[in-house]
This record gives sequence, C-alpha cells and structure tokens, in this order.
Amino acid sequence: MAERMIEFRDALREAMSEAMREDPKVFLIGEEVAEYNGAYKVSRGMLEEFGPRRIIDAPISETGFAGLGIGAAMMGLKPIVEFMSWSFSLVAADQILNNAPKMLYMSGGQLQCPIVFRGNDGAGGQLGSTHSWCVESLYANVPGLKMVIPSDPYDAKGLLAAAIADPDPVFCLESERMLSMTGDVPEASYTLPIGKAIIRRPGTDCTIVSFGRPVHFCMEAAEQLAKEGIDCEVIDGRSVKPLDIDTIAESVRKTNCCVVVDQSWSFASVGSEVAAEVHRICFDDLDNHVHRVHNDDVPAPYAHNLEAEMLPNARKICEAVRSVTYNA
Amino acid sequence: MPIDITMPRLSDTMEKGTIIKWHVAAGDEVSSGDVLADVETDKATMEMQSFDDGKVERIAVKEGEPVDVGTVVAILLEEDESPEDAAVAQNQPVAAAPAATVESSSPAAVPAPEAQRSRAGNLKLTPVARRLAEEHGIDPASLVGSGPGGRIVKRDVLAAVGTSTETRSAVPPSAAPTPATQSQPVVIDPVPTPAVPVTAVQPVSTASTNSDIIAIPGSLQSHSEPLSNMRQTIAARLVQSKQSIPHYQVSASFNVDPLLALRKSLNQQLEGTGSKISVNDLVVRACALAMYANPLMNASWGGDSIVYNGAVNIGVAIALPVESGGGLVVATIRDADRKSIRVISAETRALSEKAKTRGLTVDEMADSTFTISNLGMFGVDDFTAIINPPNSAILAVGGAIQKPVVRDGELAVGHEMKVTLSNDHRVIDGATAAQYLVSLREYIENPAQILV
Repeated sequence: MAERMIEFRDALREAMSEAMREDPKVFLIGEEVAEYNGAYKVSRGMLEEFGPRRIIDAPISETGFAGLGIGAAMMGLKPIVEFMSWSFSLVAADQILNNAPKMLYMSGGQLQCPIVFRGNDGAGGQLGSTHSWCVESLYANVPGLKMVIPSDPYDAKGLLAAAIADPDPVFCLESERMLSMTGDVPEASYTLPIGKAIIRRPGTDCTIVSFGRPVHFCMEAAEQLAKEGIDCEVIDGRSVKPLDIDTIAESVRKTNCCVVVDQSWSFASVGSEVAAEVHRICFDDLDNHVHRVHNDDVPAPYAHNLEAEMLPNARKICEAVRSVTYNA
Repeated sequence: MPIDITMPRLSDTMEKGTIIKWHVAAGDEVSSGDVLADVETDKATMEMQSFDDGKVERIAVKEGEPVDVGTVVAILLEEDESPEDAAVAQNQPVAAAPAATVESSSPAAVPAPEAQRSRAGNLKLTPVARRLAEEHGIDPASLVGSGPGGRIVKRDVLAAVGTSTETRSAVPPSAAPTPATQSQPVVIDPVPTPAVPVTAVQPVSTASTNSDIIAIPGSLQSHSEPLSNMRQTIAARLVQSKQSIPHYQVSASFNVDPLLALRKSLNQQLEGTGSKISVNDLVVRACALAMYANPLMNASWGGDSIVYNGAVNIGVAIALPVESGGGLVVATIRDADRKSIRVISAETRALSEKAKTRGLTVDEMADSTFTISNLGMFGVDDFTAIINPPNSAILAVGGAIQKPVVRDGELAVGHEMKVTLSNDHRVIDGATAAQYLVSLREYIENPAQILV
C-alpha cells in the first residue's frame, strides 16, 4: 500500500472528523476551534463540514467549557474538549479532575462520562514557565481517567480515535512541537488499544521507556549508544494510564536494566511510577536500579538554550544508559 | 592486618593489567621478593613480586582477566592472622573461606554457618547477578565485582560463565522478545519491524558452498582475535601520534662502503671476545653524536614550549616474535652519545633478547629522546616511520644495498643505505631536519669519528 504522509495535526483532525461523521453525538468545543480553524489549525475546515452546532468556539473560560462538556457527556453526548494548551487546563482542574473522572463512581454507575480532553502538552518552545506544563504526572495521579500520549501521526489518529470511542474520560496529550511532524497514516478509520505500549526499537542491553515527544530523543540516544556497543530497546508507552507494564517488564527481564524518560518533573511522576513498578515486578531481573531522566527540577526557562537543557534530551539519556549499564 | 596485593601501576600509561600467570596459589607461603605472578601491561609482560612475607589467603583475579590498576588481585595473611581477618578487612567480595585453610583442627575453628552468612551478606551483588550465579552454579563469593564499590553485576557472572551467549539461554522462555505488533486490520505499521539484533561484524568467510574448492595447505582462515594489551597500546599511541603530530619526511642516501668496511674490520679484531658490532650499533651512536650540532632533533614538543633534552637517549624499535603475540617495543639506550660502540652493542643485544623473552621494564623503555627503526635486515630500500612521542623525530633505516653508484664522477658498484627522517614540524623545520642528515652523513660516510 502506498504511503500517505500527513502531518500530526491532520491525523488528529481525521480522527475527530471520522468519528463525527459516524456518530452525531460527537462534537468539538474549545477556544478558536471554529471560525479561526483552531489556534494550531488542527480543526481546519471542520466548521465548514460540521457547522457551528458541532464545532463550537468557546469563550476564554476553561472551567466553563470543560464543565459544559462534562455535563453534555453525562447526558449522553460525546464531547471533545480542546485546550489550546494543557497549561490552561489548570484553571479547569476542578472540572477535569474532580468531576469527570469521578462521575461514574459517585453516581453509582448511573452516569458515564465519555469525554475527551485534548491539547498541547509539554514545552512548546520558549513559552515560559506558566505555558510549558507537562501535566501527565499531575493528572495521571487521579483515578477514573485514562491518558494517552501519541508520539507520531499514526498514533495520533489511532489513539485519539480510541479515546473518542472510549466510554470513560480520556486525556489526550499532544505536543505543539510535533504538530507539523509528518508520518504515514492510513486513510481508513482505525483505533489503537489504550493501554498497550509498542517497542520502537528492539535491543538487548538496556530498556528505555518513554512517552510522547521524548521517545524521539530516546531513539536518537539509542543510535548513538549503538555506536558505543550498547544495544537499547526503546519502548513507547503510548498510554500512561492504563500503563502497559507487561511490555516493559518483559523487556527488562531480557535486558536487566531500565531507564525511564519522562518529560515531567521527577517527584511523584510517571517516571517514578514506572520505576517503582519495574522494581516490584522485575526485582530479581535487575542489574542496577532503574535510572530516570526527567525535566530538571526548575520551572521551564524561557531562554532557548536553557529550555533545551532543562528538558530530557539525548545527551542525558545516553548518560543514564551508560550509567545503568555500568559503562559510565 | 591482612595485606591487599593490588594491581601495580607499572608504567605511566598503564590503566589495566592482566595476570597472565599466577606463580602462587591460595595457601602458599611467600616471602618478600618472591614472584607472585606475570603481569601483562599495556607495554610488556613483567613479574609481580611480593613485598611482604605471608601466606596467600586468596587469589582474587583469574588469569587472563584484565583489571584496573589498584584492584585487589590477592590477599596475603601475615603470621598469626586467620582468614576471618581478611574477611573483616575487606569490604570487597571475599571468598567463602574453605575450611581447609583454617589450620586448627579444632571443630570450634571451623567457621560457623552464621559467619558464612554474614560474610555472604557483605557481598554486594545485583539481583540478576545473584540469579544468574545460582543458575550457573557459581559461588558469587568467588567473583570480583566490577560495579561501584565492588558490586558484582551481571557481566561479572557472565565473564565467569565464559560466554555471553549463555545469558540468552538464561532468559526464561516467557521473556523471549516478542516485538509488539499492532492488532488493527488496516495497518501499515510505520514502526520498523524488529530485525534480528545486530551482531558483531563477521569476517568474510572463506567457506564456500562450492565443494570443488580444495583446501590448500597454508591457506588462510577467516577469524578474529581479541587485541592484546600491547596491540591496544600500539593502536592508541600511534593513532594519537599520527593524528596530533604534523609529520613530514626527509630522506637521504648514504654511501656506506666505509661503514661496512669499518664494521668488518672491527668484527675481525673483536673475534673471540663475544662482541659483534652491527650496522645498527654504529647508526645508533652516529645519530647520538649528530645531536650535538642539531639539538632541536633531540628536543620535545612541550605544548607552550620546546623542551631541549640534555641527555641523548636513543630508542631502538624491537619487533617481537609473532609466536609470542608479535608487536613492538622501543628499548632505550641511555646516553648513547657517551657510550662506546661495544657498550651500545651489548646493551642493544641484551635489551632485544630480554624484550623477546621476558619483556622489558618500564625503565628500560622510558625517556628516549630520539628513535631509530631499522628494517635494513629485511633488505627494504626505504620506509617511513611514525614518531614515538615525546620524541620529535624518528629515523627509518633501510638496508645497505649493493647497487650501481656514482663515485667521483665514475660509475661504480657500492653500498648505499637510505634513511628517512620523520619529523614533528612543530619542533623541527625542514632545513633543520636536512641539516641533521648532513651531520649524520658526515659520521656515516666518515665512520672513524663514530668510534671516538
């Protein structure tokens, strides 16, 4: 089959448009999603196709439109709520953390909440401390929600489609830095299973686990390390919650060491959770404690060079792998 | 206190050493000066002697296993000490003391199980190392840990097992790599399908499916051999020299008829004395004497200075026999400008012999200021050599070849020897090198001067 190279943003749009064509209960709401075609042009042309009743420009009030979406979901619709950035979702914390994930539980199973929250996560590139949030570690702490982080266009379409189809609240964390990335994406509809990781690169010497954009840094590091004779297996978790610890554990049993790369801060993070699980499940298989690569423990700097240094990068990953394999 | 015998630093550049052969075993009594082991360094194989009297409690490093300088390779007990002392003194992994080494026959002296356990508790080993050791029936206490603080890690167990291929089989079948596949029907998987893990490059095989090919005696077989320490050092140092030193060469051809005549005459007169002068001996001294007029040739690059050396120490490259691993070393003839030809000859012969049999000490290879590499005995016309830092020059000496020559405007038959000087241009300019060859020619072509 011929390749069909499209951008990450187009893959996201295809997932939404295909779901909307199929199911009239699906709608999109967010700042600038309609008339402006989306702040990042993810929803380009959707207003034209689906009209203003289903592609809805919201005022700058995350609490308001997130709550509106949750109410709609409770009443049987399937909203997609776009945050221009996940950094802005912080003001809607009560809605997205306190209402959406708990509704099924608190209503004794009477009220489902099939909603998708999606938007840009992570340092977008010189957006400063307040607009460079990586929310995965904060939000994954809450029971009742699911969280996916696509790392390429193929996954963006398949994971978002799965998120829309899912009966529970799903947080889809995208990256402004990847929206223009192109990849081969099938035209037909498909979903990827939420909670299933993928091995991006097989290897024998060290397992590297990551999610989203840093997966690419891991691949870069793995190429460098291969030249040094360290053969890394890179696992893209795809989904933080549920976490596919089985795939990770299977790899660690083979390599006997593990580095987790997580673009959030280290304290009580996705990275620390993966490390704890690997230690629990693979204790007798480990040749070293799990090493972690995170953001440095500072707010995201504005300066370009400092930001790049603060984030996980290939150099830090190489250092961690050399250390965990006793090649430092 | 038990005495730790550590891998000594036997040369400036030595970082690791390999015990080629242990001359003692656990339980042996040794005295100061006894040879404990033969150690292969990056440059030579040398004897490691004991500085103390005592009994060998434990050999901690196996033959053939390279270890860092400073690593404990054996533990010596002084009089009245028990193996327990060694255990207490060590936070390094300590061998479970076999009861046999406890000299007392009293049952009370046999280590109690608690003692054994507490000692095993001191062992630092990673979970997978522990598991692999169990699977392969290896006592972890017999291993030396290469991890931080002597931690025994997977590779230490694998090294003891012998081959890393055994790890693969040690992986439970359930853990066999199963590359994730996508379950969706409509998928062109953009993820590269995992191939077989990349393996080391295999040499081109001479094996052929064509059975008509007949094996010829002496024909070559594809294989690879791990590098010896010496080969690694040669590789590292010469690459460094060739990459960091701006080399250039200047050549000259010398009339060596007078030199050959002198040598013949000397050897006739020395007959029966055991001395036999070689062309190289004469060249060594000629090169040394020619330094007086050309001190830059005897200097070293000092980064922000040029270091003029007061002593003229001529390095002589010695090829080692292929049977014992090959390679080459440079023996130093110290103060070659002040030594007689007979002394130079005897020293060169002795060092060459020692290099080929027992190996040279660091002292015997250190401090050269200029090096000579002579392939004349192979009949080569000429060649170029790579500078031996911190020298600034090296002389590549070809054979004394009989050929048609022009002497005094007449065609004649004579012997010529071609030499090629490789120079560090940071220290030696072309004219300086050429001037040195002029001086050298003076000595070589008027060789009586070499003698006085």
